[in-house]
Amino acid sequence: MSHPSKISGNFFTQDGKGTSPFRLIRNSLLTGLCISLSMLALLPLFSIVMLVVKKGMPLMSPALFTELPPPPGLEEGGFANAIIGTVIMVGIALVLAIPLGILAAIHITEYEPSSLLSKAVRFVAKLLNGIPSIICGVFAFAAIVMTMRSFSAFAGGIALSILILPTILLTAEQALLDVPNAYREASLGLGATPFQTIFRIVLPDALPTIMTGVMLAVARAAGETAPVLFTALFSANWIHSIMEPTASLSVLIYNFAALPFDYQVKMAWSASLILVTLVTVTNVLAQLFFSPKHR
Amino acid sequence: MHTEPSRPHTLTNFTVSLDHLRGSVLMMSSLTQRNLNNSLKGLMERDDDWCNNSIADDEEIDMLEMQIDKEGIDVMSRFQPVASDLREVISSIKIGANIERVADQAVNIARRARKINEHPEVPELHLLDELVKMAVSMFDDAVRAFAERNAHLAVELKARDKELDRLNRELTDKMVQRMQDDSVNLPTYLNLIFVSRCLERIGDHAANMAEDVVFAVRAEDIRHHAK
Amino acid sequence: MTSIPEFSRRPLELADDFAPGEINFMKVEDFSFFYGKKQALHGINLTIPSRKVTAFIGPSGCGKSTLLRNFNRMNELIPCIRHEGDISIHGTSIYDPSVEVIALRRRIGMVFQKSNPFPMSIYENIVYPLRIAGERNRAVLDEAVERCLRSAALWEEVKDRLHESAIGLSGGQMQRLCIARAIASRPEILLMDEPCSALDPIATAKVEELIIELKKEFTILIVTHNMHQASRVSDLTAFFYLGSLVEFDKTQKIFTNPAKQQTEDYITGRFG
Repeated sequence: MSHPSKISGNFFTQDGKGTSPFRLIRNSLLTGLCISLSMLALLPLFSIVMLVVKKGMPLMSPALFTELPPPPGLEEGGFANAIIGTVIMVGIALVLAIPLGILAAIHITEYEPSSLLSKAVRFVAKLLNGIPSIICGVFAFAAIVMTMRSFSAFAGGIALSILILPTILLTAEQALLDVPNAYREASLGLGATPFQTIFRIVLPDALPTIMTGVMLAVARAAGETAPVLFTALFSANWIHSIMEPTASLSVLIYNFAALPFDYQVKMAWSASLILVTLVTVTNVLAQLFFSPKHR
Repeated sequence: MHTEPSRPHTLTNFTVSLDHLRGSVLMMSSLTQRNLNNSLKGLMERDDDWCNNSIADDEEIDMLEMQIDKEGIDVMSRFQPVASDLREVISSIKIGANIERVADQAVNIARRARKINEHPEVPELHLLDELVKMAVSMFDDAVRAFAERNAHLAVELKARDKELDRLNRELTDKMVQRMQDDSVNLPTYLNLIFVSRCLERIGDHAANMAEDVVFAVRAEDIRHHAK
Repeated sequence: MTSIPEFSRRPLELADDFAPGEINFMKVEDFSFFYGKKQALHGINLTIPSRKVTAFIGPSGCGKSTLLRNFNRMNELIPCIRHEGDISIHGTSIYDPSVEVIALRRRIGMVFQKSNPFPMSIYENIVYPLRIAGERNRAVLDEAVERCLRSAALWEEVKDRLHESAIGLSGGQMQRLCIARAIASRPEILLMDEPCSALDPIATAKVEELIIELKKEFTILIVTHNMHQASRVSDLTAFFYLGSLVEFDKTQKIFTNPAKQQTEDYITGRFG
């Protein structure tokens, strides 16, 4: 023994006591609790999907995608016009909200992060983000349907764009803030203008995250009933113009589910399944397409 | 012009190592001063014991010289000193080498003294008194200049070295004269010339040390200037 | 503290063999700089010769980086800043109304502390300065990539994977890529803000070697916390303390026999 050691016995146990068995038990108990709680959270999600698939599958047929909704009582037809209507209205909403949201986000992060206007935009976006969707519908009803004296896909698109604008704006803002400042510095240091810096460096880097926000928005817009009910109403016919009442999957589900006819209720289930599939497929495609290339 | 660096290093180990190096140089110089005095005592008092002491103790000084080199290299590799610290380390190593040569001269004097002591005393021995006094004081002052970081004292030493050279030449001439007149004591006169030569060399080494002190303190190189 | 050290007013006496370039290439005159109410630089006077490496050293917060970032007016990205005095390059003030910031930054390359390649391919990183200047000719771009990568001593290492992501390079390679990118628009001056502080010793040595190689073509200003790095790569060294220039002289002089006690205390590691 070269020098007296303060440690007696096992180096890793203090005072020779060791780890108490109680601590080990508590550790594994907590781990178990975490696992079972996350399973529990998964349960309702999983059962919804299962239910929709189970109830929606029986009526699945090409006719659903090609034919018009049947009049009450008849057991035939599909809801092709509703699928088209939903795609059109979500499309209108995206065409309006994406440029607006991203450009506003660029302004409040890149150009004037601390100006009064930016603060106001941020505040309003957060406020709007929590607003009930029915209010968007009522607003679009008052602002567009009343003035144009007609329900329309256009009004529906506007209502949905108001609904999703804050989501897109706020996620875009966060995505831009997440772009390392070093990229901006490097670009400006090389003699790039702020415009070049934003559109060549910052925005491409933020795009994957922005797209996540857009996908969230798509999912929400496609599933919303209330704003569409107030603005696009419904139609049993093919769509001829965006200025006329238009069918949508969500309103179709809402309408048919309440009907006393078994076939229509089954169709509502199928529409639900198609809606879920549609949103999922867009999501996956977007992620494939916009995934970051250099990381 | 620099004064002594006012503050210790942030890195305490750096200051400790530098202080230790300095301490070793001072230790070596005081041992050498003792050896030189012993040799000269042996010469002047015709006592071989003092001479033997001086010769025996030289080994210790050689060890110290190696230790100073080692410590100097250690400081340079570990702390990469710059500016005054770098100059201090370099001059310490060089001063260590000079002190070692002074110690060697002390040994030479001791050896010559033992030879002189084998023969009858000659009165000319005391012609050396002036040279001894001068060489010893020069070495002492060189050490003092290093200890006190006194560049002023160091510069002055260079002038005194010239005086010592002159005394050496004079003594040599006198001895050569005496050798012709008194061939019986010729070996003693010859040895006295050697001792005088040793003392003159000690003066040279002291002057070299002084140059290193000036370099350490003022970052000036005063070698090969006023010659 | 605000008093200007007198020696810095006179131009540095450079021996003929020392200055093949232009002695008064860059001039900083009575330059003060403010972040809001806080004064970061106090009346700096400095004359930097061309085709030399000039190192700025000093403790954190001494203003060395602030001064460096004024040469290409990068500080103007920060709100509430203000300057007094002038900086001129080759006789023209960088604050002259005729000088465009964009043009200024194209003439002055900058390398940052943390290597910051864009998340693109190696090739795209290097041609970025050319693309933003409107260059579309493929041959010109290809030539620039090879030239810059060779100058940055990176060509042999990456020539077979020019179109792979720059993010996959090692830390040292990324920093050399940033240097290559910084010289793509053929600037005259290279500003380096602690370019090696995140690199290991071997990568650092490679970058230092590169700096010494690059000074044949560029005037290089380098801010460094590593005093030994300053002593290894620079020809001139400026020591800053509390926003003032304390001493500016040949590197060899600063590191063997500085004129000021403050400089001595700093480089020998005696700062309290």
